[in-house]
Amino acid sequence: MSDPTISVPLEIYRFDPKTDSAPRYQRVTLDLPPHTPVLTALLKVRQEQDPGLTLRYSCRSAICGSCAMQINNKSRLACETPVGPEIERHGRIVIEPMRNQPVLRDLVVDQQPFWTQYERIQPHLIPDPAHPMPEGRENPMTPEQVERFKETPRCIACGACYSACPAVEADPTFPGPMALAKLYRFVVDPRDGRTQDRLVSIQTGGLWLCLRCHLCTEACPKDVRPSERIRDLKEMAIHAQGATEHGSKHAVGFLRNIRETGTLNEFKLVRQTYSPGEMLGQVGQGIRMWRKKPEMMHKPKKVAGWEDVEKIYQALEETREDPP
Amino acid sequence: MKMAYYPGCVAQGSGKELDMAVRWVARAIGLELVEFPAFTCCGSAFVDEANQTLNIALNARNLAIAEKAGLDLLTVCSTCQGMLTLANRRLEEPAMKARIDGVLSPLGIQYRGSTKVRHLLDVLVKDVGADRLRGLVRRPLSGLKVGAFYGCHLLRPQDELGSESAEEPHAFEDLLSALGASPVFYRGRVMCCGFPIQFVKPETASRIGGRQILDARNHGAEAMATPCPLCHISLDGFQHQAAKTVGQPLDMPVFHLPQLVGLALGATPEELGLDRHLVSVQPALAKVAGGSARG
Repeated sequence: MSDPTISVPLEIYRFDPKTDSAPRYQRVTLDLPPHTPVLTALLKVRQEQDPGLTLRYSCRSAICGSCAMQINNKSRLACETPVGPEIERHGRIVIEPMRNQPVLRDLVVDQQPFWTQYERIQPHLIPDPAHPMPEGRENPMTPEQVERFKETPRCIACGACYSACPAVEADPTFPGPMALAKLYRFVVDPRDGRTQDRLVSIQTGGLWLCLRCHLCTEACPKDVRPSERIRDLKEMAIHAQGATEHGSKHAVGFLRNIRETGTLNEFKLVRQTYSPGEMLGQVGQGIRMWRKKPEMMHKPKKVAGWEDVEKIYQALEETREDPP
Repeated sequence: MKMAYYPGCVAQGSGKELDMAVRWVARAIGLELVEFPAFTCCGSAFVDEANQTLNIALNARNLAIAEKAGLDLLTVCSTCQGMLTLANRRLEEPAMKARIDGVLSPLGIQYRGSTKVRHLLDVLVKDVGADRLRGLVRRPLSGLKVGAFYGCHLLRPQDELGSESAEEPHAFEDLLSALGASPVFYRGRVMCCGFPIQFVKPETASRIGGRQILDARNHGAEAMATPCPLCHISLDGFQHQAAKTVGQPLDMPVFHLPQLVGLALGATPEELGLDRHLVSVQPALAKVAGGSARG
């Protein structure tokens, strides 16, 4: 007995930049069991209706990372996204190529920007010459050392996070979630000799453009949680080098700011981030804000029990360890 | 109903209109706000970048204050909601719990982990409910097309926050419908407003904010509404810059969530501080006030 089927209206993005002036959406309705992966639906369309439909895929088992695409606006692997829940929620499935990369044809994008960012972080072990690898045997790690990698070794480089990232969309200088999660993986590797250099160069290399919107963490099919590892990198970078960039100055400024009263002093925070010259560039915006919201200049009063806040700072600020 | 009111820094400062609207709405729905002058800032996700353990300790202290009073915490900011909930989750890790207890115990502060952190949106949708809200409406927002803008920290990471959905929520749109408005669904509604990097790279931040406003407008929105005062700063306060960056006028009125609720429930624009926005909300007000308040 075959499974009961549902009607699955698909709207598939079709575009060949060589011949088409604009993309179009091909509408096809299939009858499929609800657990059918979107990839299977696409291959059925290609096999039975349109051999020209172009897409990347290989293993069909969420291992090779080839079939990442936009499915109803979410970055997903087509091979592990069943049609049923999408139809339940949206009544149709809109399938588009990954975002933030140029379309080569239909659902295939040019991943060069993604790989270029990956290369930039030097995604390979660079051993410390002072501590050469032991000869003739493996270089063992303790379970605690392995623990520090967290989920990052699971990455299959599918690019779903890169496609989901609004910082990549708005700014091509941002390395993207995958490259930064990889960087984290080498920064915590006890066999790598370049931890300090890696952290120093990423402070000016776009680390602070991460919006911590966590869209990458939701998109990742392997639960690598790039946004959380980027947060760890930010903390480690400050620890390694101090606050050298606007982003780290802002984070450290914020931390010091609320130490004073327990509550944020909004105007002071601007001064803690910007130099006097940079402040000057903000005068127009400042006046616009101040005319409607004069409270932005107010100095907050100390919270009740402020002494406890100060003691918490003393305990954790002055004896801070590496991020857990 | 009684909750520990955690206004957050912005509602006590430049975003005072949010606090005004929260108090008005709380009275209207019979929610008693208990205030605690000992609450500190949640760290706004910035302290979390500089020192994660300190961030958790500060919020554990906030959570302990509510726990001692036997009250759940009411937040009115997506970022406060995210940071306080994150602290609750991280304190489930035994090593972290021991570390934080080691700092707080000598101060006589104990946190057992029982404080529930709830955003006003959640309270309105689940506790008050759409049916009761519909009955309280005095000035239906009839026909006003509103683009809800959630704010990242209300939604993600979904497994840590226990939010309704990471990428496809609908609580806010349900609320808008109950108030008589027509919610607009657009991709940007669950995206970032650009605020986190407003100080890092203003033009990139403005491009991100501008994109979401344009997206809402292209889907027909006549106004936007947000449960997060930081998103409000980005979408309203910096809209001028966003318009310059995207190269076209935007003129999008942006409401704080409780302002729109208050408006529907019969508050005057003055009571809700609607004159304190940088982008005028008059076009949206004119649309709903075609219908004047219904007695």
